[in-house]
Amino acid sequence: MKYQHLYVVIEHEEGKPVPVSLEMLGEARRLMDGYNKKYSADEKVVAVVLGHDVRKLCEELIFYGADAVIYADSPELRYTRNLIDTKVISQIATNKELAAKFSDASGFVKPRYMFFAADNIGRQLSSTVLAELESGLASDINKLVIEDLVIKHEHKTKGQPEKYERTLEMYRPDFSGFLWTTILCLDNRNPAIEREYHPQGCSIIPGVFAPIERDDKRRGAIVDYLPKFDERDLRVKIIDRKIVKSAVDFDSNKAIVSFGRGIKDSPEENIKLVAQLAKDLEAEVGVSLPISKKPFSVSEGTSSTYMIPDRVIGTSGRKVAPMLYIAAGISGAMQHIAGMKEAGFVVAINPDENSPIKDECDIFIKGRMEDVIPLLLEELRKRKPAIKVRK
Amino acid sequence: MANLNIAVIVKLEPDFSEGNVSYNADGTLNRAETKSILGPHSAVASNAAFYAKVRYGAQIAVTTMGPPIADTALQQAQLLCDADELHLYSDRIFAGADTLATAEVLKTGISKIEGKMDIVFSGHRASDGETGQTGPQTAWKLGFTFLGNVIHYDVNMQNKTVRARRMISLQGFYDVVEEVEAPLPVFIAIDPSYKASFNTVSQRLAFEKYQKEAKTRAQDYKQYLKVFNAQQLGVDPKLVGLPGSPTIVYKVERIPKAKASRKAEVVDGISREQVAKVASKMYEVLEGMVIK
Repeated sequence: MKYQHLYVVIEHEEGKPVPVSLEMLGEARRLMDGYNKKYSADEKVVAVVLGHDVRKLCEELIFYGADAVIYADSPELRYTRNLIDTKVISQIATNKELAAKFSDASGFVKPRYMFFAADNIGRQLSSTVLAELESGLASDINKLVIEDLVIKHEHKTKGQPEKYERTLEMYRPDFSGFLWTTILCLDNRNPAIEREYHPQGCSIIPGVFAPIERDDKRRGAIVDYLPKFDERDLRVKIIDRKIVKSAVDFDSNKAIVSFGRGIKDSPEENIKLVAQLAKDLEAEVGVSLPISKKPFSVSEGTSSTYMIPDRVIGTSGRKVAPMLYIAAGISGAMQHIAGMKEAGFVVAINPDENSPIKDECDIFIKGRMEDVIPLLLEELRKRKPAIKVRK
Repeated sequence: MANLNIAVIVKLEPDFSEGNVSYNADGTLNRAETKSILGPHSAVASNAAFYAKVRYGAQIAVTTMGPPIADTALQQAQLLCDADELHLYSDRIFAGADTLATAEVLKTGISKIEGKMDIVFSGHRASDGETGQTGPQTAWKLGFTFLGNVIHYDVNMQNKTVRARRMISLQGFYDVVEEVEAPLPVFIAIDPSYKASFNTVSQRLAFEKYQKEAKTRAQDYKQYLKVFNAQQLGVDPKLVGLPGSPTIVYKVERIPKAKASRKAEVVDGISREQVAKVASKMYEVLEGMVIK
């Protein structure tokens, strides 16, 4: 077959896998187990690793669900560089001999499916790799289904119903967090524009899928690939590299106070109230995704301190699990809920009892934050001396 | 002769700022009622190009693919970067393009700009589509080194290299700040946190001069505007628009409401007595006295 297997591009830091890598493998395992059963096939989950001294990581990836690992090991690949990595990954994805090491690859041209992480590295890498492989890509996916579909499309099928087998349905939450768009990557069957598009590629949101349980009895093929570098490409050099901790610390604070579009009536003052509440509770401040687009005009200081992507909680930002989570003026789009549902105790402040956040909180304070927070601050202060909050 | 040839890719996007954005009852964007503006990330890309003009001297072309009204985005970008040329790629057959088909148009357009291109800038991503794919895919088709999440850059005019600082976030794992050097030409997707700074007197003077020029030019932007249709660009119709898009939108649905995961106690927010109870509860939670 021309198109076979699901290739998963692994991200790691000096051999330590980034969590989303194992999450992608977990989902790939589940999907391909279902696929092989449904189609009586034997297609593989193939992890692709670029790096230096990564042999041990390859074994780990087998324990976490890969049937095979193709790795390129070179000092030149220690840190990711888009140009070089794109070429090496594309070489691997189109190499028949490599695929023959773990499958019958007589007709192999390209992978059937391909996964990348939807973080800064993976989004860019997926874009350039799929541009090189000349196929389709969907970004920020949080649900995947493989099915046979009958498609009638003006361009793809010239308006005729056509059966597309083994199609990857890629679900993507849109910016509002309320809509789910399903993207398909389909061959053009219309004779006028006939063309095959494989692999069907996507980038996967970190924190969405569960890894499978590590099993060190799992066995698989580990295949070594010797990459070819273009001398010119090696002129792109990493001069310096520092790992930094975000100034926004959601992990060591016991509480988080987040705000959303509900600040709208008096944005500047409401953000001040939220900040004060956070200070009194020794909490960090979070925001919902729309806030990071700076929809309100506030002072420069407030904007650059609070209305920033770094503070976003949700599928487009961070996943948090504080003991106490306060959601002020947040309606509760799915994309936000996904980021805070592991919190211990949730208090929502919202005037609208019909907002979805009501089903995701333990206490729903009905009211506008400009009325509720001052009252809450006073009552908290009355009680503070009696019970000291320990860090 | 300008020292650098620069192109900026911009996009006309819905204006998400309060008062301009309009949402439907179900929380989705009301596109008919929402105004369109130069996207905020496109604005940052324009600022980054302006930095090159002030620092090194540059010939700047701002480009976009879109309907005829997208020329307003070009005008707004010209005001920010004092563009010398504005290019609009507009044709009905471009409509419905996914990122690969969009990149094909942009690549073709940029290749047609006079002079050998040194740097192409784009924003981090569009605030409506939010894929962040069009920039890197255009870079790949152009054969330029792609540098994403760039928060600062400088050009070494002698060596013809660029040195860029990149801020890479891996969502909850770690962040990396990286300094990278690459030979020109490069494609830079600029990070939203980018800010140009002009430190010397001569830079500030150049800044003022070009800013003034930008104002004059933008008032009369049509004089700088060139519109290209598919034929004028010379794109292969099979590679653009819907025919050139590997992906389709199969369906759009409301994300089903998850089953209530918690049972909320509803409290009246103007009752001091009730809010006081919440305050006590909060301290109990933080003291670890509430086990759920």
